[in-house]
Amino acid sequence: MRRLAALVLLAPALALAEPASVIRDTELRQAPASDAPVVAPLAVNAKVDALERKGGWTRVKAEGGQEGWVRMLTLRYAGAGAARQGDLGITQILNVARTGTSGTQVTTGVRGLDAEQLANAKPNEAELKKLQGYAATDAAAAGFAAKGKLEARSIDYPKEGG
Amino acid sequence: MRLVALLAGLLLAATPAAAQFNINLNRLLDVGKNVKKATTEVDEKEEIEIGRDIAARLLGAAPLAADEALQRYVNNVGRWLAAQTERPGLPWRFGVLEAPQLNAFATPGGHIFVTRGLVARMTSEAELAGVLAHEIAHVLKKHHLKAIQKTAQLELANTVVGTFTRQDDGANRREKLLAAGSELFARGLDKDDELEADRLGVVIAARAGYDAYGLPAVLQTLQAMNPQDSGLALMFKTHPAPAERLDALQKMQPTLDAYGGLPQLAQRFAGNVRR
Repeated sequence: MRRLAALVLLAPALALAEPASVIRDTELRQAPASDAPVVAPLAVNAKVDALERKGGWTRVKAEGGQEGWVRMLTLRYAGAGAARQGDLGITQILNVARTGTSGTQVTTGVRGLDAEQLANAKPNEAELKKLQGYAATDAAAAGFAAKGKLEARSIDYPKEGG
Repeated sequence: MRLVALLAGLLLAATPAAAQFNINLNRLLDVGKNVKKATTEVDEKEEIEIGRDIAARLLGAAPLAADEALQRYVNNVGRWLAAQTERPGLPWRFGVLEAPQLNAFATPGGHIFVTRGLVARMTSEAELAGVLAHEIAHVLKKHHLKAIQKTAQLELANTVVGTFTRQDDGANRREKLLAAGSELFARGLDKDDELEADRLGVVIAARAGYDAYGLPAVLQTLQAMNPQDSGLALMFKTHPAPAERLDALQKMQPTLDAYGGLPQLAQRFAGNVRR
């Protein structure tokens, strides 16, 4: 039980049972690995509830009630954004955000980093000085990494356009 | 050769004005040199200075979050990531901006910012690392610097004929670069630059020993949000849609899978980020 509790704590917290769908035919697997036994096939657009993520795998509950793991990158969440992609959607979104015609989602009076404020901002040298003061040295960062058991390794970038 | 052609073009364009106002040919030659300068490689010292000045303006739009522990934590993560790159010697600085919007910014030379609004949506240090690594990639590839130079070059060329007053050419040029830099945050980079930064960001995070899925996880969080949330407006205007970025990252599946089991450090993250 204690081990289970620890695992729950360590798991990155997805909001519980987030509705999503799969973007291509795939399989529900018993464990987060491509060689784990298949629980059930999932057809493109199949609806699932996402429960937790582990590396590149997300544990989900299928419509039929079966639970298992699917590749995280096959999932798209079914929020209001799911049906809106690309430029047209974004333009609409921006219009709504600017005019506030939706009346529900738009938070008025959100200050800070909108386009207009960025354009009109005056330099804040005092904050910049603070920023310099927070900088980490290479040695401190290496010690910090070691504490987290982070090990540097050599990995090539993908080829151009890859 | 290019300079000669450019100057010839400028002189041609300015000839009627020159006749009318009897302007000094040397002045035009100076401006021509300016245009040339804005298009050539900016050296690293100047890259850092331009980035520093743009960072100061960004901080004028939103100050740093008043949480020194959080700022130092983010600097440790960022510095460790930057140390795994081809430009470890830049004066890398990382800051959390006190703003509810969800966004992250890089300026030339290594000033990187992430908003409190975005940090609040993250669940692990690997996710933070993924976002910082994406911004670091912009600096490595000089995406902003190149875009700024392009804009400044056009601006200078456009003002050649209209500007007859003698100005400090260096300061004028710097001012143009700065204005172009600030404007860039509202306009955004080319889509290809963003997708390249995603791919490189995944690699940089993995080099630093983090779960390579940190950045895709943040993109999935953004994809799941209501796009009408006003906190997303600027990011969605200046970046490809999260779903498109996730699609593009499928190319990185081999890298992601090879380094998907590395530490996420969710607990250390939670301990350093007060909600």
